[in-house]
Amino acid sequence: MATPSRTEIISLFRSLLRSARQFPDYNIREYTKRRTIDSFRHNKTLSDPSSIAAAFSDGQSQLQVARRQSVVYSLYAPKIKSIMDVKP
Amino acid sequence: MASITGSSSLMASLSCNKLTQTLTRAYNFNVVSVAVSGKSFPSLKLSSAPSRFRVSCAATPETVDKVCSIVRKQLALPEDSAVTGESKFASLGADSLDTVEIVMGLEEEFGISVEEESAQTIATVQDAADLIEKLISKN
Repeated sequence: MATPSRTEIISLFRSLLRSARQFPDYNIREYTKRRTIDSFRHNKTLSDPSSIAAAFSDGQSQLQVARRQSVVYSLYAPKIKSIMDVKP
Repeated sequence: MASITGSSSLMASLSCNKLTQTLTRAYNFNVVSVAVSGKSFPSLKLSSAPSRFRVSCAATPETVDKVCSIVRKQLALPEDSAVTGESKFASLGADSLDTVEIVMGLEEEFGISVEEESAQTIATVQDAADLIEKLISKN
């Protein structure tokens, strides 16, 4: 597809961060957040339209992966929460 | 000249010849003062509502403070930096990715869910605090 607009990219960023919240596992949740923030910042300075489009479609497929996996992980959520989730 | 505070106002008229009636409204719209030329009356309160000085926007100071602390933490600003209700995110050094992260942090902190369109329009700390108040009161 054509070069994604700024709004679409921001919207993809937001969707990825929201999908990270659905994971019951603390580690995967944190990893998803960290990885999306890092990769979006790393690619912030891209100017070539084809590489921007490639990174965008990459991000979209990762979003699909995250959404599917959050459903699967929720089916088998551990009963004992991670210590990091327990507020002091 | 007239100077208006939140709770009282003193009027002194300027012209002496004709009857000048000046109506001024305070921030909270419940104090109306009338002055007649040549004399200055004390302010007449037309309603009996308590005339506290109210900030004209909807957000409480605690909400604004919490938003400021989240913004500071996200942008790694030092503790004594000037983050007030009027600070724009862009002027504090935040780009659009930072703004999205700040809005996410606010969603988690206050347990609300911000829609896409509302999130696009947030530009200052005060916008964020008002939106938060609106969403909290709607729940």
